[in-house]
Amino acid sequence: MHLTLVGLSHKTAPVEIREKLTFPAHRQEEALSLLMATPDVAEAVILSTCNRTEIYAVTAAGADGSAAVIDFLADYHDLDRHELVRYLYFSEGEAVVRHLFRVVASLDSMVIGEAQILGQVKEAYEHAFGTESVGRVFNRLFRQSFEVGKRVRTETDIGENAVSISYAAVELAKKVFDSLDGRTILILGAGKMSELTAKHLVCNGVKSVLVANRTYERAEELAGRFSGEAIRYDELFERMREADIVISSTAATHHVITKEQVAPTMRGRKGNPLFLIDIAVPRDIDPDVNELDDVFLYDIDDLNGVVESNLEERMREARRAEEIIAEEMVAFERWIESMEVVPTVAAIRAKAEQVRMAELEKALKRLGGLSEKELKTVEALTSSIVNKMLHGPTARLKMVAGEKDGYDYIEAARFLYGLDTNPEGKPAHQGLIKTLLGKAERAAGRAADKSAQNEMGDTLGC
Amino acid sequence: MEQAALVNLWFAMTLYMVATVLYVYHFVAKRPVFAWYATFATGAGFLTHTASIGLHWGATQEVPITGAFNSLSLTAWALILIYFVVEHLVKLKLYGTVLVPVAFVAMAIAQISLGSTGAELTADALEQLDSWRVAIHVAMIMTANAGFAVAAAASAVYLVQGAQLKKHKTSALMKRLPSLTQTQQLARRAIMLAYPVYTAGMLLGIIRAIEFGLPAWWFDPRVMLSGVVWGIFGSYLFLHYKSGASGKLLARIALVGLVAVVVLAVIARTVPTGFHIFGL
Repeated sequence: MHLTLVGLSHKTAPVEIREKLTFPAHRQEEALSLLMATPDVAEAVILSTCNRTEIYAVTAAGADGSAAVIDFLADYHDLDRHELVRYLYFSEGEAVVRHLFRVVASLDSMVIGEAQILGQVKEAYEHAFGTESVGRVFNRLFRQSFEVGKRVRTETDIGENAVSISYAAVELAKKVFDSLDGRTILILGAGKMSELTAKHLVCNGVKSVLVANRTYERAEELAGRFSGEAIRYDELFERMREADIVISSTAATHHVITKEQVAPTMRGRKGNPLFLIDIAVPRDIDPDVNELDDVFLYDIDDLNGVVESNLEERMREARRAEEIIAEEMVAFERWIESMEVVPTVAAIRAKAEQVRMAELEKALKRLGGLSEKELKTVEALTSSIVNKMLHGPTARLKMVAGEKDGYDYIEAARFLYGLDTNPEGKPAHQGLIKTLLGKAERAAGRAADKSAQNEMGDTLGC
Repeated sequence: MEQAALVNLWFAMTLYMVATVLYVYHFVAKRPVFAWYATFATGAGFLTHTASIGLHWGATQEVPITGAFNSLSLTAWALILIYFVVEHLVKLKLYGTVLVPVAFVAMAIAQISLGSTGAELTADALEQLDSWRVAIHVAMIMTANAGFAVAAAASAVYLVQGAQLKKHKTSALMKRLPSLTQTQQLARRAIMLAYPVYTAGMLLGIIRAIEFGLPAWWFDPRVMLSGVVWGIFGSYLFLHYKSGASGKLLARIALVGLVAVVVLAVIARTVPTGFHIFGL
């Protein structure tokens, strides 16, 4: 059994390719059924977002899982296989686990730390669960990946800091006002950027929107989009008293808001701050306005500075997220080891040997005074019984371990023999982890170029 | 019982110290679990502290309001009590990082430098204190002082955060500190609650002084400084509600007010004049 990943993302494929390879939610059931009909695929999950399409699969031992998935992708979307592989990346074994954990932690996203990906992976898993395309391995892997996502979001600040200008403005506004609920914004100029920023502010609870523009009709038009109020340009400073946030983005070539004009509007505000966002170039607001008490002015460069600082912060947090992923990978590897056939057989034999020795000791005490020859005969007899009793089950277990439902048999055996914990003395990270997680193949050099570190490439000889 | 009170007091101080470390660690590392431990340690410290005050009261049969030791201990107790109210209201652990260390330092000074006993008082002083009004007067002033301390802490946070925003700094500190309006609101509410309590506490003290027939009671340095404190926080409220002063000015006034409270509580004690000396 192998873990296989085939996919493409914003890192490897342009949008015109990505859009051809999507699996919309309403077609995932059909797609998963087709994929599961492939003989080599035991479990599968399709993750399809605007930035990535990835197919995670558990494939039969010895089979070329990647090839099976690529064939499916090419057939399903009616694309040329050789053309398609140019944009794909492939991972096997342990690299699949790492990749999934990194995706869920949003470390592989276009914007590191974005929050949507966790929900998208959950949705993909739910589709697969609904169509019974996931089994023991993916149930465990994906559920653990959600834990990873949750841990990364709660234990790091990866999603805390805004990385776009408009969100940075919202973030700063929240540092001034705490909550934006019930606040009033005044938009000066009806440009796209001010509209976008206003949109984010409104989404965060801003109640009233005032729009001022040299052309009153354009102000009315923009105000209409926010159910706001258009105001005459000459009323600007009078109405500014009502505003908590001012967004300015006019095409003026000089300062349209000066310190002398803002100072009177600050009287009678009882210490309520005024947050001014100047996203115009050249600037609309005289920088001296920032000198007024309770006035906080940010221009486009200041906001860019915030974004850059936040990106650096996210990169720092990403390193902490990688540590969490490493911890979780160890946990997953431990679980997968417990599902391994070789140590399971060894554990069954060890347990039987323990029972044999204990019973033999008791019997010898009762018999007493046996000659050396008799002793050897009794020992050989008990060993022979144990070996013959275990030969059948262990041989069958080894035989079915590589099949589609192999884990069910191994788990059943562990349950029946009471092997809830790893057998004593079993070395860590061996056996199945080498096969399931693909280490054996990598050791043999067969899949050396298929790891997560080399996701991009045409490893199928295209 | 006296021994038990002392043991409890040491426990309370230790727990406040542990809470201080945990709050600071939470602030730096932003680990919510540590904030929970810190709150737990503070709560446990507060209960132990309360038990200590109760045991001490039971052992001496005297309301523990005299002397610098009791003043500091009660201030720390009131501060923690107010902090819990604040934490409940604003759901912010940040103020624990500011207020719990203050309570711990007050306790440490009381315990290490001043010993745990009350003051030796003259018969005249004991007679002056023998009134329910005095106990309530002390409790009210202590509670109000704790409220002023909360307001000053919030104001300090306001000034720091305001400076960060003015300078367009996106430091970790800026991200950890709460918003301007929240800190401003907390300071204002704390003063709005503490000020009437302080006023009532002062009035009770004045009534007691007049009742006891103290000559020129108003000339006592502590009484006069109390008037200054009352005036400072009164001007805060006036400037906010009547003249719409800037947040920065109001924050500075709150800090000046706290300085006056500290001067009143510490320095005025070292001036052994006036009637208001019930043990240094």
